[in-house]
Amino acid sequence: MATVVEGGRDPRGTVTPRPQAPVPGPELASTPLVIRRREDEETVVTFPYLVWREFLAGLAAFCFLLLVSIQINAPLLSRANTSITPNPAKAPWYFVGLQELLERFPPIMAGVAFPSFVIIFMILTPYLDRNQSRRPQDRKVAIVLFTIYMCLAVAFVVIGEFFRGEAFNWDWTLILGHPGLSSPV
Amino acid sequence: MSATPDQANPVRAFVAQLWGSVFRHGLPTNDKVAARTALTNFFLHIHPVRVKKSAVRVSYTLCLGGLSFFLFILLTITGLFLMFYYIPSVDTAYQNVSDLQFVAVFGDIIRNMHRWAAHAMVITVWLHMARVFYQGAYKPPREFNWVIGTFLLLITLLLSFSGYLLPWDQLAIWAITVGTNMAKYAPIVGPYTRYLLLGGDQVAQGALIRFYVLHVIALPLVGFLLMVVHFWRVRKDGFTGGL
Repeated sequence: MATVVEGGRDPRGTVTPRPQAPVPGPELASTPLVIRRREDEETVVTFPYLVWREFLAGLAAFCFLLLVSIQINAPLLSRANTSITPNPAKAPWYFVGLQELLERFPPIMAGVAFPSFVIIFMILTPYLDRNQSRRPQDRKVAIVLFTIYMCLAVAFVVIGEFFRGEAFNWDWTLILGHPGLSSPV
Repeated sequence: MSATPDQANPVRAFVAQLWGSVFRHGLPTNDKVAARTALTNFFLHIHPVRVKKSAVRVSYTLCLGGLSFFLFILLTITGLFLMFYYIPSVDTAYQNVSDLQFVAVFGDIIRNMHRWAAHAMVITVWLHMARVFYQGAYKPPREFNWVIGTFLLLITLLLSFSGYLLPWDQLAIWAITVGTNMAKYAPIVGPYTRYLLLGGDQVAQGALIRFYVLHVIALPLVGFLLMVVHFWRVRKDGFTGGL
């Protein structure tokens, strides 16, 4: 049976040309990474091709989480008590990077200026980046800047989470263990 | 007689009618039926009928956006179960969560799953943002969908943060104390923001009920609305596809 989409009408009523086998012309062969037009792309039906993959990904994620949840209990300490302050008191891990910043910079910088700057810069990213190309070799500056930001964000979280002990002071023993003891305390 | 098998067998005819009343097509044995399936099914309509093959390669998307949405659904379902037990009062909250963890049948697995899925979602949303950036998928015409995505990342963080207080244990109350103390540093509005968020000067009953309402109703609702718009725009702008 002939397919309905090829050479037929898509939901918006425009005639969809039958996908052509790509003919490698000389200019295409020399610059293989030009932004290809929609008609040049090989397409597949989303159902079941894409939906099946989504189902498998969801199933894998569910099984993974189920196994983790059977093996590892969520933390539950003693009942909240405002008169006993744990030492160190840490924010949730995704905000520990901010806490680490507060340790190094004045509060107005670390607590207000930096996070506001990051959020506003993130929102404005597509409007500030005037470069139309999506090819990595055309976007060296954007990729380097973003990678530096990502590495700093991860580094601050890792430092705050794994290298800060009592009173949020630097503490190697969290990962290396105490000198003279066989296992970390 | 030239009766079809369906007319000859009333049971088969009924099954055929039942199937036809729900699905307007047969099994997707060819592209035509597959296209009709996607067009006529409410849930599948989130996708276009056809997509570029390069756009749905697992190595291109890494499934990160889809996994984030899947985790959101999983968190909604497990969260619903937790709500049957949990009462947002400083007198009962800790006991409710203890019962969930140590007494209720499968309560520990539901709570563990909710906790780990929440952490996982922060990571998948973050990585999804990185994936979209590295592939330049935020470039025109998709600028505004990146903006919506930024707000979805913030909503994800706030959802996780507001849920952090609810067990009302030492970890919860002190993490929220440290976290909300950061708000104090904003000039002029800082202390007022913190007071508004906590419903008082310290993390107590006022903070618990506020974080609870934010966590189970307000933030998921805003997040869901932003997600609907986010997916709608992905659908309308099309997938970026291979570089």
